Amino acid sequence: MVKISVLQHVPSAHLPTRPGDPTPTSRNLDPLLHPFSRARERTRALNAVKMERMFARPFVASLEGHVDAIECMRMKPGSLSEVVSGSWDGEIIKHDLSTRTKGLTISQAHKGKVSGITYGQNSENVLSCGVDRNVKLWDSEGKALETFTGKTAFNAIDHHFTDPIFATASNTVQIWDETKSTALLNLAHSATTETITSLKFHHSEPSLLGSIGSSRTFTLYDIRSSSPIERQIVMAFQNTAIHFSPLLPTQLLLPSEDHNLYTFDLRYLKAPTEIYKGHVASATCAAYSPTGLEFVSGSWDRTIKIWNVKDAGGPSSNISGGKSRDTYHTKRMQRITAVCFTPDAQHILSASDDGNMRIWKADASKKQGIVTARERAAIEYRKALIGRWKGDREVGKVERRRFLPKSVYQAGKLKRTMVDARKEKEDRRRKHTREGEGKKVAERKKVVVTEQA
Amino acid sequence: MDSLFAKADAIQPLGKKRKAVHSSKSASSSKSTKPSGKDADDHTLSSIVKRTSTPKSLRIPEPSDASQVKKYSHIANKKLRTELVRQSTHNAQAKEMLADAEMLSMGERGMLEVENEMEKTWRVGQSEIASSAGGEAAKGKQEWKLDGGPYKSRYTKNGRHLAIIGKHGHAATFDWQAGTLHTELHLQETCRDITFLHDQSHFAVAQKKYIYIYDRDGVELHCLKSHIEPTRLEFLPYHWLLASVGNAGYLKYQDTSTGQLLVEHRTKLGSPSSMTQNPHNAVIHLGHQNGTVTLWTPNLPHPAVRLLAHMGPVASVSVDPSHEGGRYMATSGGDGTVKVWDCRNWKGAVREWSTRGGSAEVTWSAKGVLAVGSGGSVNTYTSPTIHAPHQDHRQPPLYLTHPIPHRPITSLQFAPFQDILTIGHADGLSSILVPGAGEPNFDSTEADPFENKKSRREREVRGLLEKIQPDLITLDTDFAGSLAPATNLVTQTQATLSGKNVPDVPFAKLPRMERLKVSGKADETEVVSDEDESGDDDDGEKKRASKEEREKRKMRGKGKSLKRYLRKQRKNVIDPTAVAIREKLGKQREQKRKAALAAISGEPMEERKPSALDRFKRAK
Repeated sequence: MVKISVLQHVPSAHLPTRPGDPTPTSRNLDPLLHPFSRARERTRALNAVKMERMFARPFVASLEGHVDAIECMRMKPGSLSEVVSGSWDGEIIKHDLSTRTKGLTISQAHKGKVSGITYGQNSENVLSCGVDRNVKLWDSEGKALETFTGKTAFNAIDHHFTDPIFATASNTVQIWDETKSTALLNLAHSATTETITSLKFHHSEPSLLGSIGSSRTFTLYDIRSSSPIERQIVMAFQNTAIHFSPLLPTQLLLPSEDHNLYTFDLRYLKAPTEIYKGHVASATCAAYSPTGLEFVSGSWDRTIKIWNVKDAGGPSSNISGGKSRDTYHTKRMQRITAVCFTPDAQHILSASDDGNMRIWKADASKKQGIVTARERAAIEYRKALIGRWKGDREVGKVERRRFLPKSVYQAGKLKRTMVDARKEKEDRRRKHTREGEGKKVAERKKVVVTEQA
Repeated sequence: MDSLFAKADAIQPLGKKRKAVHSSKSASSSKSTKPSGKDADDHTLSSIVKRTSTPKSLRIPEPSDASQVKKYSHIANKKLRTELVRQSTHNAQAKEMLADAEMLSMGERGMLEVENEMEKTWRVGQSEIASSAGGEAAKGKQEWKLDGGPYKSRYTKNGRHLAIIGKHGHAATFDWQAGTLHTELHLQETCRDITFLHDQSHFAVAQKKYIYIYDRDGVELHCLKSHIEPTRLEFLPYHWLLASVGNAGYLKYQDTSTGQLLVEHRTKLGSPSSMTQNPHNAVIHLGHQNGTVTLWTPNLPHPAVRLLAHMGPVASVSVDPSHEGGRYMATSGGDGTVKVWDCRNWKGAVREWSTRGGSAEVTWSAKGVLAVGSGGSVNTYTSPTIHAPHQDHRQPPLYLTHPIPHRPITSLQFAPFQDILTIGHADGLSSILVPGAGEPNFDSTEADPFENKKSRREREVRGLLEKIQPDLITLDTDFAGSLAPATNLVTQTQATLSGKNVPDVPFAKLPRMERLKVSGKADETEVVSDEDESGDDDDGEKKRASKEEREKRKMRGKGKSLKRYLRKQRKNVIDPTAVAIREKLGKQREQKRKAALAAISGEPMEERKPSALDRFKRAK
């Protein structure tokens, strides 16, 4: 007797049982039923990366109001929407990001430019300093509550994270109490002639203060100690600002006039932990994301760049350390003077010479607004695909390529040529020197010149 | 500053940190043995990951066989190594889950089983099969008696719709399961082939002069005038390409999504007698009048493979979709033989036998049943025996046979996901049941016989989005996503060692890989060993031993001073001494190799200086 069975599909098993039910699906993972799976996945990855670039529209809005170039800008602590800025004509404006409207305006807050701005102990109050040698404390109505007078023009101001004291930078670093009209402390060497251009308090070690001097130095102070200068490092080039990482208390970030940004480990100041290259003009400002995994930098070359912090343990990025994740620019944006992240790490603010403040998305292609679960799943799948296929030539090319303004592109090309030529010359010179003499110096070792005692 | 660091005990100067890590590790290990008081309660000491976790049922299982996961211990970069290990773990997990999913698939394959030696499957007739199959399956056995010459048929990818074409212009498409006719056309001219495009909504007919494309309702949409006198059609569903070959011997590819004629290849072998596609790599197989079979891709102007298969015209070609994705090909020739070929090795057929009644039609089913229609009957053969190499030219054991009185048999088509073979012949078409021929479990994302209108539309859009570019069609499909081949660039050091003269490229301008090689930092230990992965047989032990031995051999001589010097020397400098030493070591290695060779061949190695008299020596 022969056993016979013939394959048959019962239609009722493959059709919806009641009208309105979803049609049942069946899966068979046998690779023979899925030919070209690799090539098809690559096509999907290519589509995904192209879609990502297509959706990359980072510019959100521009906040107008200032007539002259904006010099400084600060987000209100604990607020997602309020930002205050000071400009070269001495005007201070508060903006609301959520409604994109102008709030309080103080015209002629200072004579000459407003060089620094920060919030007071009571975060309704604003502290501003100007080149007119005054620091002023403003209340929420725009009335000057207090005026602190210094001997020289002020360049920067920062408030302590907890105590009602603030620090100013002029030809010296001074610590002030909000309630006293004279400075509490004078931190800098009396012997030096350098001007302090920027300063910042540390987040997690609140008595630690960092400053940038005009003679290529950066200095760390402990404001509690009797001899406050802890470390003073002389670098090869002038830095423009100092920032402390909110995630890694030991990390500090220095945008520099040699077009690069440097991160240092506080415990080892002989060489930077990483050099971030990419700008083609002086990096004028920078700011950490509140997550500490990335930071943004603005430059004299009219672009904003976003970088992943090396070894911060962020989402594994496809950009290796030292290269920017993204570059933002727009036709009418001039030289960047100040940048900051919003406290939700979703947006970036930039202030520039053209008197406008601009809001950008931190992730250029991220969808704003409500995302349904299915859409989110699709977005995550696309992200995973890109991560998997980024090594493919075409996919990687689309992913990495950024179109830059012509001037920036040309300057970058010229810079690359010059750097290459310099390297080549160095190589040739080394080849023709006596053995053991022309030792190669690592790029990182060239950054720090010396440490001053 | 140090006071600050000291106060914040999480932050310690770098110099001390290393030690601190070691001590804390040992402390934690001692703690685990005897939890004491305060430390035992302090959960913040360890990560929260250990306290919180996903439910076990939702967790992806760890691969049960740890040896399946590659370790990549030769890679020094820790980050890269971790990533690679994570990937290989993921792959192992995916494999295990695939095995699980196979267990869950519900459909059962059809079969024909005999109880003892004396019973033969080929004695079982169609009526017996149909009566014992019953229900839905019995509907598969059908006879369509039609006028208008020998008929050909073609199924859609999901096996639900059938298109038929008669030689004298009778074309029809219908849903054979529901029994609804989509369209019926009387084209009043010679028609040679028919094929569906991506689904049942369009089909192409090779008519007397040109190819015509019709929609589901039989409205003529396009006339492809660049395809002249077409004889055979094939549609590549994942590339959206319609391939045709005509009497003049030109193979033409037309992109049906853009309408553009992609490429035309001149075969230079006259009118091809047969054509098929390999469904797994989209290569077109053509059989020619002079007995050759050629394999074509759109990217090569000449055949990728040319094979003399038969001593007469090649009547029919078919590729096995079941076994390792298109490994076997069957051909039949005018010389009355049927041959099975291994597509990886073209040296002679795996198996060949002769049939009665002249040239045959051949076709494979999804589960590897080979149907051969010749003379007055259709014979089928099953999978393991048909692939087994066999020397004498005897017919393989027969699985089923079915007489067809209407000669000639012009087409054989297995219905996808069914145990049905549709035979086109002079008197119409007949369908027979071949138990075990069809794949029982379909995948709704690829081809679903029960799909509704909405999912058909969805699949059409998705298919267009995932259309593979034609330049990816190659014999080996796995090249997408594999590593690029190494460059042939010669570095300075290699050149000086081998005595070649290359232009002086400065170190800074060398590509990164070359710079690493020059400075001795390149990771050249990467060995992709496929045999390691498949090494589950008994000689695994031996292999491991030999690997150890290899390691040992590698270690020997590491302590030599020259090599030590070189190891210390791997700075980014092209150092003349280092170069000289590398050269010297290379020479030594060469001498050693020669000595070893001499020892093997038994001849004493004599060091001989080149002499001017050498040219007068007799060549050996």
